[in-house]
Amino acid sequence: MNGLLATFERELRAYFFSPLAYAVLTFFLLVNGFVFWLIVRFLSDPRGQAGAPVEMFFGQTVFFWLVLLFIAPAITMRLLSEERRSGTIEVLMTSPVSEGQVVVGKFLAALTFYVFLWLPTLIYVGLIQHYSTVDWGPVASSFLGILGIGSVFVAAGVFASSVSRNQVVAASLAFAILILLFSFGLLENAVNTQWLKQGFAYLDLWSHMDDFSKGIVNTRRLVYCASLTVFFLFLSARALEANKWR
Amino acid sequence: MIEVQNVSRRYGDFTAVDGISFDVNEGEIVGILGPNGAGKTTSIRMITGFLPPSSGRVTVYGKDLFAEPGAARRDIGYLPENVAIYPEMRVREYLEYRARLEGMKSSEAKPAIAEAIDRCLLSEVKDQIVGTLSKGYRQRVGLAAAIVHKPRVLVLDEPTVGLDPKQIIAIRELIRELGRNHTLLLSTHILPEVELLCRRVLIIDKGRIIAQGTPEDLRERWLGNALLRVALKGDGVGAAESLATLPGVASVQEAGLGHGEARFTVECERGADPREAVFRAAIANGWVLLGLRQDSGSLEDVFVRLTTQDNAHGDAVGGAVSPSDAAAADSHDAAAAASSDTEVVQ
Repeated sequence: MNGLLATFERELRAYFFSPLAYAVLTFFLLVNGFVFWLIVRFLSDPRGQAGAPVEMFFGQTVFFWLVLLFIAPAITMRLLSEERRSGTIEVLMTSPVSEGQVVVGKFLAALTFYVFLWLPTLIYVGLIQHYSTVDWGPVASSFLGILGIGSVFVAAGVFASSVSRNQVVAASLAFAILILLFSFGLLENAVNTQWLKQGFAYLDLWSHMDDFSKGIVNTRRLVYCASLTVFFLFLSARALEANKWR
Repeated sequence: MIEVQNVSRRYGDFTAVDGISFDVNEGEIVGILGPNGAGKTTSIRMITGFLPPSSGRVTVYGKDLFAEPGAARRDIGYLPENVAIYPEMRVREYLEYRARLEGMKSSEAKPAIAEAIDRCLLSEVKDQIVGTLSKGYRQRVGLAAAIVHKPRVLVLDEPTVGLDPKQIIAIRELIRELGRNHTLLLSTHILPEVELLCRRVLIIDKGRIIAQGTPEDLRERWLGNALLRVALKGDGVGAAESLATLPGVASVQEAGLGHGEARFTVECERGADPREAVFRAAIANGWVLLGLRQDSGSLEDVFVRLTTQDNAHGDAVGGAVSPSDAAAADSHDAAAAASSDTEVVQ
């Protein structure tokens, strides 16, 4: 437990000391601000369709996914690959700390930073509240969905970072895994067999977020996120162990 | 106390460490010596639990490193070869982090960190960012981090590599100081370091221990008889013949002529000290004695002899180091320099 906390704290501090984190934060806010402006403009056009801007912002547009697919690899690529490249892993692995503690500590730090990235979007909700009314239920469930999807993405990024000592390779691998995961859901419409269709629908992240943004909290979806997260973290710990045998 | 039992490590077909066994007893300072690529770092990594051995067993105070990693690892303080430290952290923060990794509570960590900073002379830089420190300071931060949790055993991998001479002296002083209350295992390829610090030496080559003992044992066993370096003013005609007849002298070689002096290398008989005889012979023959130095050879000579045996042309059996071998000749100069302090004492 001590090792987990020590890793978590160090990693979180490292985020706020690294220029990359601020670049990511700026990029994230710029893109999100622009998307929010687009949505508001689109909905305020009297000729267009009506809708709820907050719900649309959280997960109903392709921008949500585009940003997430880039952000997750960017904030996780350093985590383990840099430890291996610089050799700091040696001290970490010879102290009385297990691979699992290291992986979970780093995962939690990345997830915390990820949540931190999303916090400013609450301002948008506040803005809407100022001019109109906000249904707070869907906002809460949207954030739950963002946390769920985020934990899967971050865990996948941690795994990618655990198998390479090169940050660029780690980021590319994470991106590939996420694209694969993401496109599984899109295959739903490409097949005709009933059971395959259902299978892909279950994996479909887009409909996950769609549900969450509408205020639907489905435990099946939460279990799906949790199990994928645990799966990737388990793989990461095994990958760290396997490094010793090479 | 460390016990290494028949430990091997293979990378694919390559055997980096091939069945080494040794103990490090409580309070001992043991040096692992070997050329680059001999398997030192791999051995050290298996002893600290970073690499699992392909076969064999390492125990620290009776605890197996892989069966009870938590307990065994707490007893070891480790300074890895490349002393990697997160560059964005401050010295004190890093020590706090390391203390926590080792499972110390903040109440015990605080005085321990202060002590480590004090012992490694880091108080001036304790609030600096590690990335801005010189290599010598970083090495000291690495050492402070290795001792912060008060381990019983310290394992240092090449602690002075890449430092300037002044920093090397400071780090050696610190290591010697730490050796007073730690069991210490040290790897290096710098020989004077081992002679200075270690009471017992293991020489590793190609993954095997090829010799071990105290530096004196090794010298006696592998280098044979002591040498005398004699320098006479003039061209020294006939001096070699006269020197060879002195009691205690086994053989005489002319070692060169120049700058108005003639130099001779006198091989002594086992246990003999013919210095006085040489001095009296100089008076009797009217030679002007410019230099007389005893040279028992250094660990460096032992090391070169042992680790170049394959490419040496069968001269490893002889008494003195072959001057034909450039490396050996070089090391002999170093040996001569090293033995000059002995001369002062005598």
